[in-house]
Amino acid sequence: MPKGEALGEFEYLVMLAVVRLGASAYGMRVRQEIGERTGRDVTIGAVYATLERLTEKGLLTASMSDPTPERGGRAKRSFALTGAGMEAANRARQELVNMLDGLRFPLAGRIQ
Amino acid sequence: MKPPGWAQLVLWAVAGEKEAEFVAGDLHEEFLLLWADRGRSAGSRWYVRQVLRSAATLLGLRFRSGEAAHLLAAALVAVAMPLLLLDRLWSFVYSHIPLKDGLERAPGFWAANLVCVCACAALCGSLAHSLPRAAGVALAAAAGAACALWCSTATAPILYAGLVILAAPASSMAVFVWRRPR
Repeated sequence: MPKGEALGEFEYLVMLAVVRLGASAYGMRVRQEIGERTGRDVTIGAVYATLERLTEKGLLTASMSDPTPERGGRAKRSFALTGAGMEAANRARQELVNMLDGLRFPLAGRIQ
Repeated sequence: MKPPGWAQLVLWAVAGEKEAEFVAGDLHEEFLLLWADRGRSAGSRWYVRQVLRSAATLLGLRFRSGEAAHLLAAALVAVAMPLLLLDRLWSFVYSHIPLKDGLERAPGFWAANLVCVCACAALCGSLAHSLPRAAGVALAAAAGAACALWCSTATAPILYAGLVILAAPASSMAVFVWRRPR
């Protein structure tokens, strides 16, 4: 796999949130999903920067919906995984599983 | 039920035209939920915090998309360059007239500069086709005017300097609002 194609940790979280949310995967819901599941206080800017990067890499695809009153008359941009995105997510999971294999958690030992 | 106006303006100024509408819509949606759940001040605080913490990232995204380079070019070519050319023209003309070298700029010259910068900034504003781009152009016009004043060979009167820095973005935004499709 060429350098730069591997998923970063936050990119992986965003992709998993998009998978979980299905058709309702857009900026605000992705932000909330990550916040609820990981306890991280994520900003909307960080989420959009990552969604944009993943779209440029061809791992996500974006579609626009009509403006709605609850969004102040603004349109919504929803995201979904592409075939390459699914492959990348599966590969990232396998890499993590391989690295975790044989380790016992919580890790014990002295902090150096 | 609207988020703080100044925070919305900051968001429109820093976010690129590709993202601004979606980010603003997402924040507005969550702001309304928070408003209903925890009240107005909590909703406003959350909105402002999100905008300020996202500003650098959104600005970075705008630079990456190449939009910021266009804004910089607009500021330099359309606002700073005409002002500097007028300044050099005055110096050049009077340096060739005996006893007139180093002559103070006349009030009419400052007024002509002001009209010129307003016209150029207005032209830039008329070419912007979205609010984020227009806000960016206005900000860039103010920066371009300040840059031209700093590089000028003569010390500009304070009133003129203030007027130029304010009039450039104002005329740019005014023309954008005037031309904007209803």
